Amino acid sequence: MSYRTEASRITTVDQTREVSPAMVTARGSLQLTLALFKPDITRVPHVLKAIRQRIVEEEFFIIRNKELRLTREETEQFYIEHQGKFFYNRLVTFMSSGPTQALILAHEDAIKRWRHLMGPTKVYKTKFEAPSTIRGMYGLTDTRNSTHGSDSPDTAAKEIAFFYPEFSIEDWYKNDEPSFRLGKVSLDDVNFVHRLQ
Amino acid sequence: MMVTSARIRISSAVTQCFPRVLGLSPLDKDSIIRQHVRWKKIKHRKPLDPQHADDIQEFQYVGSRSKPDTLLYVWGVADHGGLGRPSFVRPDPKKRQHHMAYRYSPHRLNFGEYYKVVDIACGYGFTVFAVEDCEQASCFGTGLNTDCQIGTQEPRQGNPLGMLIAPAPIEVPLNKSSNILKVACGRAHTVMLSDNAEVWTVGNNAYGQCGRPVITSEDYSKGGVYHRLQELSGLQIHQIECGQDTSFFLSKDGVVYSCGWGADGQTGRGHYNNEPRVGPVVGDIVGENIVKVSCRADCALALNDKGDVFGWGNNEYHQLGSITDEMQMHTAKKLHLPDVGRIIDIASSGTMCLVLNEYGQVFSWGFGVLGKGPNVSFSRTPTLIPSTLFGQTQLTPDAKVTNIYCGINIFAAVNNYNSLFTWGKNPGGCLGLRHLKDQYFPFRVALMGQILKVSCGIDHMAALVRELI
Repeated sequence: MSYRTEASRITTVDQTREVSPAMVTARGSLQLTLALFKPDITRVPHVLKAIRQRIVEEEFFIIRNKELRLTREETEQFYIEHQGKFFYNRLVTFMSSGPTQALILAHEDAIKRWRHLMGPTKVYKTKFEAPSTIRGMYGLTDTRNSTHGSDSPDTAAKEIAFFYPEFSIEDWYKNDEPSFRLGKVSLDDVNFVHRLQ
Repeated sequence: MMVTSARIRISSAVTQCFPRVLGLSPLDKDSIIRQHVRWKKIKHRKPLDPQHADDIQEFQYVGSRSKPDTLLYVWGVADHGGLGRPSFVRPDPKKRQHHMAYRYSPHRLNFGEYYKVVDIACGYGFTVFAVEDCEQASCFGTGLNTDCQIGTQEPRQGNPLGMLIAPAPIEVPLNKSSNILKVACGRAHTVMLSDNAEVWTVGNNAYGQCGRPVITSEDYSKGGVYHRLQELSGLQIHQIECGQDTSFFLSKDGVVYSCGWGADGQTGRGHYNNEPRVGPVVGDIVGENIVKVSCRADCALALNDKGDVFGWGNNEYHQLGSITDEMQMHTAKKLHLPDVGRIIDIASSGTMCLVLNEYGQVFSWGFGVLGKGPNVSFSRTPTLIPSTLFGQTQLTPDAKVTNIYCGINIFAAVNNYNSLFTWGKNPGGCLGLRHLKDQYFPFRVALMGQILKVSCGIDHMAALVRELI
């Protein structure tokens, strides 16, 4: 059934591009989170398209979006808290095996909502326990689990600083956040990022 | 009052069914036509005279020299172009074609009518076909080409195609006289075996799965590198197999060679690092005459001629639970499988293993859809899937399974009555059962003919079938 709904979503993709002001006027203070698209999906166009569509549907704002290729050292630094666990080596080799997309997402409840949308880490189990989540639908194996999300506001700040050293969270809250809350933004289709009008 | 209304209802039903019998007036007939009642056409008013039928001369239209043709069937998710039918992805409204995100029943691919397909393999969103007697190329591919896993496809120079919606030739630099016989596909790489025992690889090499040194900054989408594995020249390779990012090569003397991702120990080389150099798997397997290797994700199985099974790689779901409790194993070890009998076929998916014994019984263990009922379950030891589910009934007591196949979450078995049974996760209807729900026990796919090979991808499947007539 999931593919049927997904297909209908893809066909309506052009209609939902503009963020309707009615939808966002009531928005409260926005929270930021860092989302990663891992190397197993960054090169699969139909999966990427479907996940982006899910993000738009879930009313996230995309503040920044860039594609990069992590080196082994960078990945080791990023996943330093997992050092010593049995999956650390495979996580690091996997993440440095191809291009990764790093997104800053904003929503009132961004961290929890994005983690809910992603689903649990273990893909093989998620496929049965939460089949409609991103990992349940597009994840391949427990390692190639398609996405990553920050687990707390502190980690989010740290991870945003890791991928976007030039991005100042304070400045963003001061300058841009009010416009986002009022919905004075539009989605740039090509780069998949919200821009101020 | 009640009675009369009932009578009126009955009479109207009778007139609708038998107007001719009741001798209705033309006016009544018109009113019936206006009600859009559809009539079944009567083909023969008078039955044929049986004697006359005997007199008519019979013609045999199928010549005595005609041979049954090989047909190609594909089903599953169509969005990535892996089904090889352009109209699914890019429909032409003038021809009344519609976009099809998926195809949940077997679709006969017209590519199989034009080319003599000898082998098929499904990867992650792409399909590769080995063909015979073709001037153009001996290998074709369709679907995702993000890492040039189906070769460099560049109709305009500098603009490589990331996705193909119809089969295109893979231009492997072979001798003109030789052909590709067998193909195998991983997540984003393809391995090809030619008739003069050359092994070629193309596609993603981020872990060394193509058997050449890893170049960290290599952009695989820009152009394919066809690589011939020099290490295997001179060895008679007769089976090739791909895990997600690992490749296996089995020689005629029964030695398994491997290369690629080894973070779970899936290369079986005695370490957990990437291994771009092809070499033999170590452990209990050394000295055994291996006849088959199976690996679709990160756990690998090998079968020897005596019916023993060896395993290595990922063990997070206790696929290798009979010998170890470690999560990963980098050396091949003989599995302890009591009460299973002599094993003749093996299949290893992401979380589950299947074995087939000489009596045609299928055993499964691990985590997932074990094929025994409506629950996702876990078993450390092999459990028998009832043979009734594979077509053994009172009418066909001799039905037994002859081959087993698997993808990461999908499983398939073929029995000696040429029936294909599938079960497992069902993204995009890739089990071919005409529905989109997960299938928790083996169920027969409506596919006619002698099934020669089945290949399971992530979300699509392909079958090579010889027609019966």
